[in-house]
Amino acid sequence: MLALLPRLRRFAVGLVRDPVDADDLCQMTIERALRARGQWQPGTRLDSWMYRIMRNLWIDETRSRGRRAATFVGDEAGLGVGASGAQEASLGLADVDRALARLPDEQREAVLLVMVEGWSYKEAAEIVGCPMGTLNSRLVRGRDALMALLGDGA
Amino acid sequence: MTISREQVAAFADGELVGEEARAVAAAVAADPALLAEVEAHRALRARLAAHFAPVMQAPVPDRLRDAALQDRSAEVIDFAAAAARGFPPRGWRVALPALAASLVLAFLGFNAWQDRHYAQGPLAGALDQQLAATAPAAAPVRVLLSFRDGEGQFCRAFSASDRSGIACRDERGWRLHDLQAADPRQASTYRQAGSSDAAIMAAAQAMAAGPALDAAAEAAAARRHWRR
Repeated sequence: MLALLPRLRRFAVGLVRDPVDADDLCQMTIERALRARGQWQPGTRLDSWMYRIMRNLWIDETRSRGRRAATFVGDEAGLGVGASGAQEASLGLADVDRALARLPDEQREAVLLVMVEGWSYKEAAEIVGCPMGTLNSRLVRGRDALMALLGDGA
Repeated sequence: MTISREQVAAFADGELVGEEARAVAAAVAADPALLAEVEAHRALRARLAAHFAPVMQAPVPDRLRDAALQDRSAEVIDFAAAAARGFPPRGWRVALPALAASLVLAFLGFNAWQDRHYAQGPLAGALDQQLAATAPAAAPVRVLLSFRDGEGQFCRAFSASDRSGIACRDERGWRLHDLQAADPRQASTYRQAGSSDAAIMAAAQAMAAGPALDAAAEAAAARRHWRR
């Protein structure tokens, strides 16, 4: 498990952006994995199992935060990719973090799993728990949005 | 043939196989616009990879290391309990009696020092084909166990007359780690399967992201030629 930590940290920081939050997510993932150790099937991949745990914890956390935030700031949907052209232009064209943060969660995780973490479409779909076609279309949309946000010289 | 944007992306990701891969490759080769699209996908991937690369290099904070290390002691306990239950790590169960047999025919003339980093010749052959569960104790190269490392690569701990170590299968072949030369005084005759194997087993446990593969998982990995 020790050997997996750098990769888990990378995935976490891609998901949550803030490095301290990312390490919190990592720690929760490790603790959850240790508690659920009996559910892991020897001979299958430990890494994809832990990615799945991390991803599910992140979704739970995001949802509960979303509910809390909704009572204060209203609908979060406005932070999605469909922001105005002027805002997109002011994105600085270079900031990968900010571009990723503007993707809807489901697109961000698809992009991270495949393009950063190097999982195949099939493996990424298993981690997310969705059909491969769904994963594929999220990936395409996420990529298109990133290319638009980062400029063609991505 | 019309190529969809999904197909272009999947092609850039190396996800297509067979006829579809050939068709898209031909279309991309014939159409500069498609080629530019493929290159944009690859450039994006490279940019994202570079962006996140520093995290991989950064030291892991102590709190995470400590949290994960609780697992190590727990794993050892689990391991003993698992062995008592007859739980899978059959690679270990078979390998340990084999170690206990302890005398291994020593001399063999393979030439693997030629390449310091990748296994050659009979060693590579044994790594490809031998299953730890069925390895004869007197084989010139014995695979002690197989596991996956943190990158998901298959690795195999082995012991041979002149050295022992760990080999992990990457794109080029079996890359060697933790090589230890056998004691030259023993190398010419018989060798006690003892301290160096124990050191290799300890190194394997430190590298492994999980327990040793059981016989079925090992056989499945061998059929896939030990590719991730």
